[in-house]
Amino acid sequence: MDRELLRQCLAYHGEPLFNKLKCEQTENPDFQAVVSDLCKATYERKAEGKDNPLVEQFIARKADILFCPSWKTATHQEGEHEEEEAAEPYAIMPPLELFMEVSYDERRTMLYRDLERGDIVVGRINNIREYGFFLTLLSTAGGLKRDIEDLELSALCHIREIPSTGSHDDPLSYYQIGDFIRAAVKDIDRYQEKITVSLHQASLSPSLENIKLGVIAREELPTHYSRSVRAAADSNQTYECILMSCHGYHNPSVVDYLLEKVGVTDTHPPSMMRGLQSKLFQEDDFASVIRKKQSASWALKCVRAGVDHFKHGRHVEAMNEYNKALDIDTNNVEALVARGALFANKGSIMKAIVDFESALESCPDHRNAKKYLCQTLVERGKQLEEQDKLVTAEGLYRRALSLDDLNPEAQEALRKITDTIQKSIRLREEALAKEQVKATSSQTSAEKLRKILKEEKRMKKKRKRSSSSTSSSSTSSKRKSSSSSSCSSRRRSKKKKKKKRRSERGSKRHRRISSRESRRSEEGKSEKDRKEEEEDELEWYPAPPDTSATFLNQKGGPGFGERDEEEADEKDADERRISQLYSLSAASDDEESDSSRRDGKRRDREESRTRRGKSSLNRSLERAERRSRSSEKRDKSRERGKEDNRKDRRDSASSRRSSLDENRKRKVSCSSAESGYSRKSSYKSEYFVNSGSASKHSESRMRHDSSKRNSFDGGRYENRGREVEEAQREKDRKGKVEDESSRSEIGNSRRAEVAGNHKQSGLTSLSGGGPKKDLPSNLMDIFNQIAKFEKEKKVRPN
Amino acid sequence: MEGPSSRILATADGPLLLAFKRDFGGDGESDPAQDIKTHFRVCRFVMETGVKLGMRSVPVATACVLYHRFFERVSIRAYEPYLVAMSCVYLAGKVEEQHIRTRDIINVSHRYFNSGSAPLECDKEFWDLRDSVVQCELLILRQLNFHVSFEHPHKYLLHYLLSVKSLVNRHAWSRTPIAETSWALLRDCYHGAMCIRHIPQHIAIATLYLALNSYGVELPVGEKEWWQVLCEDVTKADIDAVISDLLHLYDMEAKCI
Repeated sequence: MDRELLRQCLAYHGEPLFNKLKCEQTENPDFQAVVSDLCKATYERKAEGKDNPLVEQFIARKADILFCPSWKTATHQEGEHEEEEAAEPYAIMPPLELFMEVSYDERRTMLYRDLERGDIVVGRINNIREYGFFLTLLSTAGGLKRDIEDLELSALCHIREIPSTGSHDDPLSYYQIGDFIRAAVKDIDRYQEKITVSLHQASLSPSLENIKLGVIAREELPTHYSRSVRAAADSNQTYECILMSCHGYHNPSVVDYLLEKVGVTDTHPPSMMRGLQSKLFQEDDFASVIRKKQSASWALKCVRAGVDHFKHGRHVEAMNEYNKALDIDTNNVEALVARGALFANKGSIMKAIVDFESALESCPDHRNAKKYLCQTLVERGKQLEEQDKLVTAEGLYRRALSLDDLNPEAQEALRKITDTIQKSIRLREEALAKEQVKATSSQTSAEKLRKILKEEKRMKKKRKRSSSSTSSSSTSSKRKSSSSSSCSSRRRSKKKKKKKRRSERGSKRHRRISSRESRRSEEGKSEKDRKEEEEDELEWYPAPPDTSATFLNQKGGPGFGERDEEEADEKDADERRISQLYSLSAASDDEESDSSRRDGKRRDREESRTRRGKSSLNRSLERAERRSRSSEKRDKSRERGKEDNRKDRRDSASSRRSSLDENRKRKVSCSSAESGYSRKSSYKSEYFVNSGSASKHSESRMRHDSSKRNSFDGGRYENRGREVEEAQREKDRKGKVEDESSRSEIGNSRRAEVAGNHKQSGLTSLSGGGPKKDLPSNLMDIFNQIAKFEKEKKVRPN
Repeated sequence: MEGPSSRILATADGPLLLAFKRDFGGDGESDPAQDIKTHFRVCRFVMETGVKLGMRSVPVATACVLYHRFFERVSIRAYEPYLVAMSCVYLAGKVEEQHIRTRDIINVSHRYFNSGSAPLECDKEFWDLRDSVVQCELLILRQLNFHVSFEHPHKYLLHYLLSVKSLVNRHAWSRTPIAETSWALLRDCYHGAMCIRHIPQHIAIATLYLALNSYGVELPVGEKEWWQVLCEDVTKADIDAVISDLLHLYDMEAKCI
């Protein structure tokens, strides 16, 4: 209990209150603590006659509230200079004593009692002396509002208290009699009743220090002073009238403003009622808390309904429920988790991750959210892996493991991807080294490479032909079965091949570096190993051209991030070129081998030559490409012509127009589709030529297409004729390089395992390309039928 | 007002909510003392709800005045007082530009009557309650002839406080919680119909007077008392009447809660 306040109160109310207090507050330990203290003094009743026993009773009963130190919430704050503001937030009223007509003496005493150093007074200069000037005080300003105009108060402002503006001027010369001066009270002599003021800003009390002292205009006089002047002049101006006429009184938020000013809180409002003491209000009963709880439970209800929908496969309804739940209660953890799960189910993995993440944000220990996020991250990682964003995928796996370090899937995936990344880094490095080597022995090595390639192909072709003729019936039947087996098995084998080719590149470097002699020495060995190679060849089917592209991407992705950008780009371009060549050559010579295997040795020498010519067309095309890119000048004009030719074909192939040439090509494409070759890339046309020629000899499969193919071949003829010359030339070189190609095949078989990693991506890309191809073939059949029908129709009427 | 409109509204009363048990003998006999107690309880409900809803003092005061004015015109037996109180809170929020959502009102009220209970489900009961509150709001508007804006003592009290403050020595003032006490007294006086029986200025002056008196703060006396200056027509008897009513409310608290 506030002893001082209680004493003040008792001093006012006297003995009766004290008795009542003693009676009412017997159970209040706080009162008992102070009662002995209060007993010492005797209380005279000051408010004689005016008092009301009921009020005393009230005070006595509520004494524990009234005199409780915590009852007072207002903090003492001075610094009320709002009257300087242009807009009046509340009604600034003239001092009350003006209306109360408090006596001169009482007001004077009150002023000398209440005026303090640092207060602001406003006065008019009435006398200027050499030691300063005298003010007649008109009004107080700042916190204290008193009516002092008629109190004949005089204040001295000493010359020392006037801030000098110029060094040589007399500061007093700036002031004239009659000037309004705002000044700070420097000292009050309460006995002598003398006031000294100062114009130094420093003499103001801290809360008022931004009020400027010195001469002021009449308009700058305090509002309450000007209003009191008006009120004093006109007796009709009552307090009420002035209050009503004030702008501030009509301010809609005047209550809030003034409550803050007097220091009363309106959110935990005071009350003298026992039942409304703010300590009785529990946080749980407040509207915001209940609403939160309610929203959560409503949202949960929606989630439950949504889960029910989900279980019954009504995904749209489930999503609606989840969204409703999140509308009701944003960041509802259960709703977020459920919606995330639905998103994940629907394949919107990114959305799912966002939901799970935000769920975990508000509830970091949510078990399901963790579990699902973990799974989804692994899922997403796998997706990224397929897109060859290995590093990002790795990050996701790591994040998944950070959520659940025992997740076997994530662990497995992370282990795999680290291997892959390391491998790809190694490959990159090798490729880089190769590039460097290539750069040093620029033209010669390129030339060598080309030769090697050609001879390789020729070798293979030759070998295969011979082997197929000499091989036992069992192997041939085996081949037949494999060749006629389903597309899927073909694809698989193709993939394997592709991988071999891919790894071949890595080893190619070694081959190039090693001397020819060493290669020659292994010649015999390669001859011996022919049988084994045969086994290998069984699976040696043409690779789909588009796989080379995917494999490129696969390689390209993660490696780049770790390298210098420019270099990487350069490398990428180079590699793309190389790999393209490789895949082309491989595809073409596979075709050759395929076809050659079938037609065997009985075929005419001439025919084989033309075929070789065809294969050399491919080779020359490759070369053209290679040459044009490495800017080799030799045979340029001739190659160019061919290249143009090829390009034309390419263009027309990609943009399926209904030209005759196109039409033919499409027919070829049907046949190739039947044989299960997938194709999509830009070098389609070459491929078609090959497959066409290949299928020519495999009568069983391509029966119905044969006529068209023939015409196609006819169209090709002149082109081929040109190639014959070249083919002849290359034939001369053939024998020399034969052994090399056989060597390379040994290498292929060795590298087959290494390439195993890329199997998966190859698979997906293949299967992705599948369905599209069926369409044109179907269409072609339909077109053919239509054409036939039309023909017949035309014939009949005639 | 009691005539046709009340009959129409009486039929409208049918579907209105019956969730709250009436706590007075419903034998149709009007017992003023009992009614006052009921009003006191309902006003306490409004006050508590107001605090829990975060309402400011003026909207709460408006809600109480709406409530008292409503039952000034109709019998307490005709309408469920707590429902009327809820609608008054809702309407007061609109009148005083501090919009309170019905959902919050229903939630807080539900918890007031079933303390410690779980929040209401979003089911038919909830929507029925909501409909009742909105319907009852229309009923109140019609009963009060759409006069729902009132002048409150709050503004007066605050201005008086500032004026009186200037009369007192600043240290004495800062030591004495006059503002808090007078504000509390003013809020408390809405527990009874006294808030509509006295004019706002008188209430403001009386609460300030009682607060000053409680702490024994003496103001200078001139030709007029301070309270005479603040409001011309106020007399000591008026002040005493307000104080007496107010003190009676404090006595009531012990009796009815």
